[in-house]
Amino acid sequence: MANQKNEEPLLIWPKKYNEVPKAVFEMEELWPKELKSIFYGEEWHPIVHRAEIPNPGDYKAAELGEMPIFAVHGEDGVIRVFQNTCTHRGTALVTECAGNKKEFECPYHRWLFSLEGELVGCPNSREFTPDFDKKNFGLHQLRVEGFCGLYWVTMSDKTPPLKEYLGESFYEPLSRILGGDGRLKLIGYQKVMYDCNWKAYCDNDGYHAPLLHKAFALLNWQGGKGFQKVTENGHLAFESEIKVPDQVEALKDASILDFKGTGTSSGSIVLMSFPLTVFSKHMDMLNVRYAFPKGPKGIEVHYAYFTHEDDDEEMVRHRIRQSSNLLGPCGLVSMEDASVFSRIDKGNKTPGNAVFQKGVEDEYKLSFTVKQNDESGNLPRWEHYRKIMGFKRAEQ
Amino acid sequence: MNKISADAIQQIEQLNRDYICALDALDMPAWLACFNKQGQYTFIAEENYRRNFPIAFMLDDCYERLQDRVTQVVDIQSDSTEHYQTRHFTQLTSVTVADDGRYQAEFNYSVYYTRSDTKKTQLLCVGRYIDLIDISNASASYIDRKAVTDTNVLPRYVAYPV
Ligand code: FES
Ligand SMILES: [Fe+2]
Repeated sequence: MANQKNEEPLLIWPKKYNEVPKAVFEMEELWPKELKSIFYGEEWHPIVHRAEIPNPGDYKAAELGEMPIFAVHGEDGVIRVFQNTCTHRGTALVTECAGNKKEFECPYHRWLFSLEGELVGCPNSREFTPDFDKKNFGLHQLRVEGFCGLYWVTMSDKTPPLKEYLGESFYEPLSRILGGDGRLKLIGYQKVMYDCNWKAYCDNDGYHAPLLHKAFALLNWQGGKGFQKVTENGHLAFESEIKVPDQVEALKDASILDFKGTGTSSGSIVLMSFPLTVFSKHMDMLNVRYAFPKGPKGIEVHYAYFTHEDDDEEMVRHRIRQSSNLLGPCGLVSMEDASVFSRIDKGNKTPGNAVFQKGVEDEYKLSFTVKQNDESGNLPRWEHYRKIMGFKRAEQ
Repeated sequence: MNKISADAIQQIEQLNRDYICALDALDMPAWLACFNKQGQYTFIAEENYRRNFPIAFMLDDCYERLQDRVTQVVDIQSDSTEHYQTRHFTQLTSVTVADDGRYQAEFNYSVYYTRSDTKKTQLLCVGRYIDLIDISNASASYIDRKAVTDTNVLPRYVAYPV
């Protein structure tokens, strides 16, 4: 029927639950819909930890989808997130990625906004429209919720409260990555661009870890006991013990691999919240990876590293050395993931489906039972993605 | 003010040449040979350096770490990362005397890379080296070389020291 042509789906999803069409990584037409349904839809997106903007006036710029935003620590101690746009004619208010200001002045016509987002000054306002009221021209604020000092935003009023959205299987280990109580200190960033589609970046799995990461074998890391937990809305929690051997023959300075630990924390926690943020605590590294897709191709990742306020000097030094050398775009362990991101993108420019095998018992059923080294933990997030995007499955 | 001899400057330039040639040839033992036993190497984003954040991209804060950097490049990562050819361009911008036989130097650098699969060339990063150099027995070596990169967002993963 010709008049239904507009309704034609961009993509038909394979009927098997363990298959993902490779085109999903390559079709640029999906991006506007992803923006609307995911980035501006009913999802929470982490933007800033209080430790990144610890003082009144501190701000951090970020992006939500294609929308520039910034988080500010107010005079009242409250952290708010605003659209990065003047409420007059739209000029961007902050241009640095971070800094400290007493107020936000727009350079164009010098409208002035407080740290709390109120319009406090606008020159020559007697000549404005008769019913002009400063109160109606405060900065556009986003809905924000905090958890252990980490602040998340959503564009929708319908998004469930943050803890409900994440579920206990996710927020409990997240609290441990955030030091238990969120009392963290920022020790710096590693920022990098990966040249793949954002969904390839966050499709990393439990199957690859002992296989891709040659470092694990070379360093004789024993894969300790572990598990994965998946939620229906696509959040994945991965936890395992790490047993670093007493002696690492490959390295002259194995202290870089020490696991000093605090309390009973396991060696490795990796969390991935839908759609694309990774949180990790490998050994003593506390890491949040803010990720910003640059359209359908390319994703900018900001690895933020933290120490805990109670750490002694030795622990701080240890966390700095470990974080600088094991993770990130040059890290002994994670560089291999980075290499896969661009190779997977190249390979996905071919027809057909990517097929998940490890841990899949029934191709026609979605399972939430996932073992430590399964790749099937990614399937609930793909199912969540498919539903949000409105793709129909092929007929059985 | 101590006057800096032409000889010292020549040695500082030569050490830098040895360093960048080692990297462009991916001769890691030759890279290691540019450092002395107190040697340290750091590859850090300008943003972190300016804001006093210690996190680096690479942080080799003792000679053993420098040795392990060689191991990492040569043995550990070689089969899972894609090779790229670098070309380092540097320019000496300042030399001062620190104390007896030790000099502080700064170089600007830009590093291009050519991927072996596409053969396309792009800029990897731009920044400056901040060096502490020991000159004794007519040979120069790094006590400390910091590559502070203005390219705060790296365009790709970086497999080799800069
Ligand atoms: S656009 Fe900001 S004051 Fe006019
Ligand atoms: Fe990995």
